[in-house]
Amino acid sequence: MHEQSLFASVPVHQHHELLQQLAGLTAMQPRHCLERRLIFKAYRKPGMAGRTGASQDLQQGDLQRLNKMLNGNMYYTQVVGPVSESDFGSTAPVDQDTQMAGMDDSKPYGSSSSPSYDYERQPWKLEFRDIPEAGTRSAVTSRLMSSATLPRGDVVQAMNAWGYNFVTEYVVEGDMFIHNDIAIFLHRVLHYPGGDELSLPRRQLPALKDMTLFEKSGSYVLQAFIIVQDGSNQETMKTASQHLFGLREQLKSAVLLEQADRLSLDTRAK
Amino acid sequence: MSNLTQEQIKVLEQSRQRLVQLTRSLGSLIASLNQSDPLPPWTSLQSQASIISNNLISVSDQLSDQRDLLSNLVAYPGPEYPGRTQANTLEQLLRTKLDPRVEDWVARGRAAGTEPATGPSSNFSDPDAVHKPLSDAQLTQLWEWAPLEANQEARRRNWGGNFTLEEREAGIENVVTGLRRQLEDDDGEEEEEEEEEEESEGEEGDGEGMDVVGVHRKPGAAEFEFNIAPHHPHPVQPFVPLDLILRHMTTGRMP
Repeated sequence: MHEQSLFASVPVHQHHELLQQLAGLTAMQPRHCLERRLIFKAYRKPGMAGRTGASQDLQQGDLQRLNKMLNGNMYYTQVVGPVSESDFGSTAPVDQDTQMAGMDDSKPYGSSSSPSYDYERQPWKLEFRDIPEAGTRSAVTSRLMSSATLPRGDVVQAMNAWGYNFVTEYVVEGDMFIHNDIAIFLHRVLHYPGGDELSLPRRQLPALKDMTLFEKSGSYVLQAFIIVQDGSNQETMKTASQHLFGLREQLKSAVLLEQADRLSLDTRAK
Repeated sequence: MSNLTQEQIKVLEQSRQRLVQLTRSLGSLIASLNQSDPLPPWTSLQSQASIISNNLISVSDQLSDQRDLLSNLVAYPGPEYPGRTQANTLEQLLRTKLDPRVEDWVARGRAAGTEPATGPSSNFSDPDAVHKPLSDAQLTQLWEWAPLEANQEARRRNWGGNFTLEEREAGIENVVTGLRRQLEDDDGEEEEEEEEEEESEGEEGDGEGMDVVGVHRKPGAAEFEFNIAPHHPHPVQPFVPLDLILRHMTTGRMP
């Protein structure tokens, strides 16, 4: 899958107006989203996973070639877990068996019916994004992406087994709009109070009002994106970027949507 | 000279034709100014003005060429003229003196034509000077002064929008542009610049309204008009640039 996107920085004083404008443009009410995002960094080349036992054979030409093929780079990858406002500042559930049974992962607000937050029941999604393609002819940020649903609960063990270390986590707060085939996400980053000294994802979430803004002025990031299933199809890729340009024209007098700096979205781990 | 020759009649007829053309083109200019909303584009106004000017020249040529004939002609009503029912028209036709208003115009035109050029020391803001033609020296002075002044004026402005700062402060809804399409207020990039400028220049307020129509505007109206007020009472620019936010979101690295 390919994700094509345009970005804009939205100063905080413009946020409210822009929400209204987007609601008018898309003819829908904003969908408020809160997401935990865990950043993982690869520490081992993915192709070597499960092969450490054969390290004596590393000099063999075949294996080297195979490694080269499998491991272009090591990447940062994100694990995204939708949470709800009531999850913040709540305590662990008393009885874990009575809730969440049969909840589907696709329902991000599954836990909102309960005032408590259960880390063991937190749904997660692994989201991989490649560094944006260099030198694309169209002025949109285009990158290879992929996502997969992970088991609920603690993902760190599984991620470790796949060769990823937990780096940090933050919360993304924002509003989602859908305009034809374009998803518009107006969001900002929240940090947990008291710094990032934890080496594991939090099991409890602090109260939402205690969360601190990453960007101190409270500005938002506007991302408009289209996910193209078949990135090799030039025709659909072109259509998608044209749709994004159309949106940029429509929003021109409100915000300036632009291609993001490629290196700022560099997910390669060095 | 009791009867007119064919040729003389032809001359009169020609004069009439030219006058008719002149009144027609004047009438059409007046009509387009009065009736068309928004105003016609300046190119059309200019071409109308040049048509009128050509008409005037041809009338003036005609009148001066045939001056001998025309000044010797005397109009009198024929016996078959319906003098009772058309008394007004008859009076108009038999007038020997000009209408007082017209007399004023003529006097002003004569004065303008014969007035010796005033000295180059006279300034341009003199209200009387507006009606007098500029002397060569004044024209030169004007041409020397204008580019510098226009440049200075232009430098004081942040170009790129459709409205001036003063107009924004007064509310752009009140600006009469005379245009049918909506002028878009601004686009995002310029809006940010405007906001920055507001802080620095907001107090000056030198109250010189600029002609909106003549200034800078982009062709093609946007499909959606957002009435963004770029002059937010408390503009807060982000501290962290977008790419650093994105970098942080990607790798968790603190800027």
